[in-house]
Amino acid sequence: MLLPEAPKELKPRARRRYTDKYFVIPAIIWVAVTTQIPFLVTIVLSLLRWNLVRPDQGATFNWFNNYAYFFWDNARSSPEFWNIVLQTLLMTAYSLAACSVFGFLVALMLDHRIPLINVARTLVLGPFFVMSTTTGVIWKVTILNMTFGWYARIATALGLPIREFISESPVMLNAFLFTWQWMPFFVLIILGGLQSVSSEVLESAELDGCNWFNLTFRIKLPMIVNHIGVAIMLGLIFLSKEYGLILVTTQGGPGKSSYTLAYYIRDQLFSSKQVGRAATISVIMVAVMLVLINFLYRKIQSRIELYD
Amino acid sequence: MTGRSEALLRARRNIRNRRYVKKTVLTVAIFTFALLYFFPILYMFLTGLKTEIQAVHPRIFFKPSLETYDKILTDASMYSYLLNSVFQIVVSTLVSLLLGVPAAFAIQFGKFKKPTTNSSLRKWFITTILLPPVAIVVPMYLFFNSMGLMNKVWGLTILYVGFHIPIVIWMIHSFMTDIPRSLIEASEIDGCSRVQQILYVVLPLIRMGVFSSGMLVAVFVWNEFLLSFTLTTNSTATLAVFMSRFREQQGQFTAQLSASATICTLPALALGWSTQKALVKGLTMGAVKG
Repeated sequence: MLLPEAPKELKPRARRRYTDKYFVIPAIIWVAVTTQIPFLVTIVLSLLRWNLVRPDQGATFNWFNNYAYFFWDNARSSPEFWNIVLQTLLMTAYSLAACSVFGFLVALMLDHRIPLINVARTLVLGPFFVMSTTTGVIWKVTILNMTFGWYARIATALGLPIREFISESPVMLNAFLFTWQWMPFFVLIILGGLQSVSSEVLESAELDGCNWFNLTFRIKLPMIVNHIGVAIMLGLIFLSKEYGLILVTTQGGPGKSSYTLAYYIRDQLFSSKQVGRAATISVIMVAVMLVLINFLYRKIQSRIELYD
Repeated sequence: MTGRSEALLRARRNIRNRRYVKKTVLTVAIFTFALLYFFPILYMFLTGLKTEIQAVHPRIFFKPSLETYDKILTDASMYSYLLNSVFQIVVSTLVSLLLGVPAAFAIQFGKFKKPTTNSSLRKWFITTILLPPVAIVVPMYLFFNSMGLMNKVWGLTILYVGFHIPIVIWMIHSFMTDIPRSLIEASEIDGCSRVQQILYVVLPLIRMGVFSSGMLVAVFVWNEFLLSFTLTTNSTATLAVFMSRFREQQGQFTAQLSASATICTLPALALGWSTQKALVKGLTMGAVKG
């Protein structure tokens, strides 16, 4: 009785099938059903002519006419679509450039060993955790308000003319606020990179008489370029869904001068009720983003291979 | 002899002094910057403690009162948004972790028929992070509208889980690469089942990683706006949507606005700050290795 039966001992090995897949399958299904399949549906929708205001017309297959509409037809009468593309690209470029440059500089600053440095890091990290609608409302009301805000007060004290950024330079304003909110994320990643630079390298560079400038831009910077690349990649994704900030600060205005593609999608869907056209813009946007991200990803990979 | 050593001492003291001055200047500069950078949030906290009349003028020093908080917390309009937000972060975070942790485990340590499956699965999940919610807004709006999911709080949760599983996997996986493979093999020989391995071997080792990725998901969900704004009605919307309602009120009710904004901000700040260190580790490792 006490002896184990021979077949029983063999059983586990004989039964050993690849059961690990059951740990991944639920996650795969959930992710596919909520992200990738809907995206395929978006692509199909972008080929349809479907106006919700005219249910009698229904949805009809339209080939690539929606794309043609934005690229050529609409552009002939008014360059609305291309303007919005330009604004989106500008806002993205401004924000990500500012985030990278200032993020690097601030990370350098926060990389020092001074008392209570963690408090300073925590303070700088703060804006990252604020929801974008709150960011917009708070800046608009307490700082940029032309009569009651801090900006107006300081500008008056200094004798500077008070300008209304919200209507004068809406794209720059949104880029600025986005930078305020996302630079901490860049700092977080870049700081992680700076701290992983081995102290041996830095010490030997110092012994060789390397000055601050060379140490920073010729030694540290090349070693953390990948961190910046990754931060830009994620920043691009987060910026692409930035809708709340624009809605709260400028509401896309004045006119459509601070519309981005994400804002335009909602405009097409809710104001014009054009399902097909809204889907078309999504597809265009995702395509552009994937091209950009792919480009960045390749760069990062090639650098990793170079250093390995 | 004494003259020389005195000169040497003086020179040394000079160097030390200079270093000391440099450090002090640096400290002051860093803290000035940090405080200025944080100032909008700080001022928001302060304004919430003002009365409406005090809030009109931008001042830092004033007599604080809880009058405004009293007003907004007794007003029921914010409650349903707050409850919805809490529901979203709790359920989405838990479900994302529940599905993400075993998946990350299987990707790192699991055995599949094809040995390349592990890395291709990892790549698949990471590329899903790159798909922005904008890509699915249109069909999801139609779907939610026709199924009446707009009026259900959990409708949005399904999407949140889907969008955050890849992030969980990405972060947890980077923590799991620290666990030596031999440990898993040893526990396998000792007769641990996969579930036991996850529960008793892996989880205790990457507690911080699990915690911090959960917190990151919670912060993202708490702050998410695009989907919540598009796919909800008044009764199911989250706090981010509630905050966007303030956009029309220029300069009025600044104190109320600030107090509400503080309530929206504090939980995310607290969660984020408490996991800062693990967050840095998870993000940078996931980022550079991913």
